[in-house]
Amino acid sequence: MRALIILLMTALLLGGGANGGSRTVVVGSKHFNEGYILAEIIAQLLEDRGVRVARKFGLGGTLICFEALKNGEIDVYPEYSGTLAEAILKLPRRVSYAELQHALKRRFGMDLLESFGFNNTYAIALRRKLAEQRGLKTISDLAKFPDLRIGLSYEFLNRNDGWPGLARTYGLAVRPVGIEHGLAYQAIRENTLDVTDVYTTDGDIRKFDLFLLEDDKDYFSQYLAAPLVRGGVDERITAIVGELAGTITDDQVRRLNAMVILEGKSFAEVANHFLGEAGLLTAERPRVEESKWVSLLYRTVRHLELTFIALLAGIIVAIPAGILVYRVRAISRPVMYMAGLLQTIPSIALLAFMIPIFGIGVKPAIVALFLYSLLPILRNTAASLVSIDPVLKKVSVGMGLTPGQSLRYIELPLAAPTILAGIRTAAVINIGTATLAAFIGAGGLGEPIVTGLALNNTSLILEGAIPAAILAILTEWAFEGLEKVLIPRHLLQRVAE
Amino acid sequence: MAQIALQNVSKLYGDATALQNVDLTFTNLVTTAVVGPSGSGKSTMLQLINGLVRPDQGQVFAFGKPIDYQHLPELRLQIGYAVQGIGLFPHLTVEANITLLARLARWDAERIKARTEELMTLVNLPLSYALRYPHELSGGEQQRVGLCRAMTLNPEIFLLDEPFGALDPITRNEIQREFLHLQGSEARTIILVTHDLREALKLAQRLVVLDRGCVVQHGTGAEILENPANGFIRSFFQSQLDP
Repeated sequence: MRALIILLMTALLLGGGANGGSRTVVVGSKHFNEGYILAEIIAQLLEDRGVRVARKFGLGGTLICFEALKNGEIDVYPEYSGTLAEAILKLPRRVSYAELQHALKRRFGMDLLESFGFNNTYAIALRRKLAEQRGLKTISDLAKFPDLRIGLSYEFLNRNDGWPGLARTYGLAVRPVGIEHGLAYQAIRENTLDVTDVYTTDGDIRKFDLFLLEDDKDYFSQYLAAPLVRGGVDERITAIVGELAGTITDDQVRRLNAMVILEGKSFAEVANHFLGEAGLLTAERPRVEESKWVSLLYRTVRHLELTFIALLAGIIVAIPAGILVYRVRAISRPVMYMAGLLQTIPSIALLAFMIPIFGIGVKPAIVALFLYSLLPILRNTAASLVSIDPVLKKVSVGMGLTPGQSLRYIELPLAAPTILAGIRTAAVINIGTATLAAFIGAGGLGEPIVTGLALNNTSLILEGAIPAAILAILTEWAFEGLEKVLIPRHLLQRVAE
Repeated sequence: MAQIALQNVSKLYGDATALQNVDLTFTNLVTTAVVGPSGSGKSTMLQLINGLVRPDQGQVFAFGKPIDYQHLPELRLQIGYAVQGIGLFPHLTVEANITLLARLARWDAERIKARTEELMTLVNLPLSYALRYPHELSGGEQQRVGLCRAMTLNPEIFLLDEPFGALDPITRNEIQREFLHLQGSEARTIILVTHDLREALKLAQRLVVLDRGCVVQHGTGAEILENPANGFIRSFFQSQLDP
């Protein structure tokens, strides 16, 4: 028990350590191209004025970002007026920008600064060729072609101001499928999808030569981009970020987006380019970017840290729990069902549940991974103890071993191969699931995957996916070696049978 | 004073009666065989004595005292126990199986080594087997290891539950001979459960005959053979002894 407490404390310290000193400003972003660019612009502007900045980019979605801001895990992130009105405040009618600012201040104490100056609203897009073939010009026209395959981002699919209202307004009867936004373009290019939702400022629109259908019934509301600042942040910070008001036009942002998507420039380069052009930089500070190998090393270390702290905690809790389940049959069913239930929660949802309790970063990721590692270890421990030859149990008790001695010298050693197999399963599951932890700002090998998904950049995805796969294979090997050292060969063969 | 006795003991499994109002005193320092058809309560009787089974009614005496169910491990350490199927621990070597209890009792290494060699020699096991695992041994060799393990702490009482049941006839003969040799070297109170009457008559001085949870007759083998108490015993003996 004491070990567990120490472990949790360590995890807390690690999680807390990421924030560093009190005067560091934490800039967050959602995981899509424009979010990264705007956040990077904010971050670099602050750095230019001598403010220490920590970046928590690529957070999983609006709710994750907003919760993180509310809980003080981040200090500022770029958000859109329409999103705040619909997804956060759930306002029944359209409100003015000033009303929105007022509502956020009143309800959450947050400051929605003046907009960057551009409106990134939703649009419905399809291949230009297809639009010409079918003579599609407006969203109203879409209703005439129910055979078109529509794939929408999950966020759009479920927002009040997204698909449900759109379908009602335009009388669309097609049933769309949900698809990760970054993958939708790919799907359209490969002709497995016809229609998707896009942001009007997407650089991808040019890259994939998409046609935007006219919103002829004026359905989509305004999505003015603006920095959203947590209440209680230093006024100086708010003032610096406020300098960005009205500095970016629709056209400019499309160009910035395209610089990343089409020209393959990094967010940092693009942000630096913009700030220079806009004359917002006071000092010339060449940006130093980490080399790929160094960041790979950092990510791998972080990934292992996430995986194995969670696994260790899982072992410490699940093996005793498995023994308890075996010894106290009455609790066996409830405990096993609980662990099974935890396993059925989709990983990204479990990560999201952690945010109100543990904030964002390493801490909630470790807790979520810990929960995931429980079931395989618990189930294998209990099952292997139950299935020990009853003659052996009878003899060990009959010859005078106490229950504790029997457990330690007979039952656990006999169950060890199966328990170890459970730990191995948990470890490999953890390595895979930990890639999703980047969605809540925990870093690790998921970071390039998340960014790559946002940019539809396969090589960036592979930068995280390949090391993660190698890590999983190495872990398998390590456990095989461990088995050979710990367990007599003939017992392993019995497990194999 | 009698070491082992059952006083008006009954044991039920659900609705089925395993033993009913059994009053029995075992003679010290001899081998008593418990015989009877399967389901007659033989194993239950044996497991009452080391507390693996608790009576629903009546009292069980071991070492002349009623069993203290709060301190069973201490009692069991003084009772050697071997079962059919042997139950050698597959993850432990022969030596580790034999010396498990001695190690738990914190004997020093020298004493443990000496005792292991003494026991293995006694049952004709080559000392080179010490580091083998049970699955590398034949059935007869495993049974010998099982007996060694039961004897490690030199207990005064032995409970043997069909210990030779799974062996082929030749190996069984050999081990039975060794058993008699062991018993001759140092007399102990031994209770042997067997369904094989020939084995019982060969190895035991006294017999207890069980039928459907009741003691039908007990005494020396000769007494029972000459004066069977009833028709059941007569036919039981006939069916077992006539070839």
